[in-house]
Amino acid sequence: MYRYDEFDHALVRERVAEFSDQVARRASGALTEDEFKPLRLMNGVYLQLHAYMLRVAIPYGTFNSRQMRQLAHIARTYDKGYGHFTTRTNIQYNWPALTDLPAILSDLAEVEMHAIQTSGNCIRNTTTDVFAGAAEDEIEDPRPWCEIIRQWSTIHPEFSFLPRKFKIAVIGAEKDRAAIRTHDVGLQIVKGEDGGTAFRVFVGGGQGRLPHIGQEIASAVPAADLLAYLTAILRAWNLLGRRDNIHKARIKILVASVGLEAFREEVDKHYATLRHEDLRIPEEEAERIKAYFAPPPFEALPKTSAPFDRALLADPDFARFARNNVRRHRQAGYASVVVSLKPVGGVPGDITADQMDAVADLAERYAFDELRAAYEQNLVLPHVKLDDVPTLWRALLEAGLATANADLATDVIACPGLDYCSLANARSIPVAQALSKRLADMDYQEKLGPVRINMSGCINACGHHHVGHIGVLGVDRKGEEYYQITVGGSPDEQAALGDIVGKSLPADEVAPAIQRTLDRYLQIRAEGERFIDTVRRVGPDPFRDAIYETLDATA
Amino acid sequence: MKIVTANRLSDGRVIYAGVDNQPVDGLDQASVLDEATAEIVLAEVAGRPDIFVNPYLVEVQDHAPSGRDRLKERIRATGPTVGNSLVRESA
Repeated sequence: MYRYDEFDHALVRERVAEFSDQVARRASGALTEDEFKPLRLMNGVYLQLHAYMLRVAIPYGTFNSRQMRQLAHIARTYDKGYGHFTTRTNIQYNWPALTDLPAILSDLAEVEMHAIQTSGNCIRNTTTDVFAGAAEDEIEDPRPWCEIIRQWSTIHPEFSFLPRKFKIAVIGAEKDRAAIRTHDVGLQIVKGEDGGTAFRVFVGGGQGRLPHIGQEIASAVPAADLLAYLTAILRAWNLLGRRDNIHKARIKILVASVGLEAFREEVDKHYATLRHEDLRIPEEEAERIKAYFAPPPFEALPKTSAPFDRALLADPDFARFARNNVRRHRQAGYASVVVSLKPVGGVPGDITADQMDAVADLAERYAFDELRAAYEQNLVLPHVKLDDVPTLWRALLEAGLATANADLATDVIACPGLDYCSLANARSIPVAQALSKRLADMDYQEKLGPVRINMSGCINACGHHHVGHIGVLGVDRKGEEYYQITVGGSPDEQAALGDIVGKSLPADEVAPAIQRTLDRYLQIRAEGERFIDTVRRVGPDPFRDAIYETLDATA
Repeated sequence: MKIVTANRLSDGRVIYAGVDNQPVDGLDQASVLDEATAEIVLAEVAGRPDIFVNPYLVEVQDHAPSGRDRLKERIRATGPTVGNSLVRESA
């Protein structure tokens, strides 16, 4: 993985020093909250319901055991012994004191981590396929390009005061495991006309109050021109985008209002100039970055593993874990293992400091010291020898991290909601927990197969409810929590926004209504259909009927 | 009736204006004020930004939040309703 060079080290250290001074001035009263707020937001610090919240960047979700141990140390020393993985593959601490922030950032800098650009109106952490470098279907590892984007976008003077935040995701396969079309810019690596690396570019995707699916603006931008093209997009938006209304400032609103063709013309105008300037990525520089992401020293192994196969036969619980949480790997004899942070009744994405240490140890021992954070709020050990998977599984069991529900109904994505967030209208976590307990039967979940359920506690949609196969949005009705349900959303290469099925439900009706929806699917599915396939075939009506069949009038 | 609440500068924790407008941790220690007095206290604590961050008024009945934001204020007062930090610690 990428290692900081002297410039990265200097930049992060300078930022720690600068922000430490700003914190000291805030603590002394020399800076008011209004003066301090934009400064803290440039450093990932929010003021939430109960405390400050610090969001730490995990660039494109890739990190190592030393970094994970430091995250555990921070959780223990400055927080309440846990952290929370987010849908932007970052980690949040819910309880740090203002006066501890300099020490935390200094600890992070020791392991090449920071909180820069995890909040504020700038280019946020670039996300990617959690199986990058491991997936069978990958054309090329997207992470070197994510790193190039990170270097270009970090404290970029032109793009530090954008109309709103800006999010980029990159994938290297046709299968979209990073929800690129829900991003301001989504990039898909393709082969260009000359056979070289190129990018298919989607623009204007986004969730929130006014959701849009990204539209294809370019089919094959040559890799060397990637930064010129991104600069052209951002420049067009930065010049034309609205700044008078926070809800209409994202690029999706601009693209929707002027239309894709007109926006493309605008971008092309800038691109025509920019591509001849010094933004071209020299091939040797791209190769230098790619070298950081070279495959680990895999052993030449047979495709199958006797210890793995023996464990499958010997232990039905292991067999279940293998069916649901172990993914095929491009290298024979290896697999990727999903570490679910969704135990039955747990808080989606939460992990204790002890569990962080346990995962760090396992990554070091069994996965070439590499860890990934998934936007689904899980972790992944990307490169594990099949021979080692049974032992790894037993260790995960001991750490309480072996829930075999990856991509199943209880693998719920949920924002922190009104339990923590000052923007929320309703709680997300208790609704997710109630659903998790109700659907806990693993046989039932496996019968259902893959289904993505997403919950957000407000229309900002941090829980990505618009693109959940089943989405749940918390709303406020005269001081009471109600939940609007959508069906048929999808975050992948067939990205779609879900349909709102009807009136919102009170909190305790949500889990039963979702179970009825899933039961209806079991009744009407055709051979081989996943939940989302059935919804696409029959539309939302049968599910609407199931959701409301036992309910009287609700709000 | 109203109470005055804010977050504490040093650690962001929820505080209220109590006796003599001193910051207190518990909702039960917050001074319950009529509308006019509440506005005066709000202005007073707003002048102490070294302690009170973003102060505002909360509608209460019998010392319990009763306005439109009552759920949010209850959660602020008692801590998250779920998860890894159920017990609200005091400073």
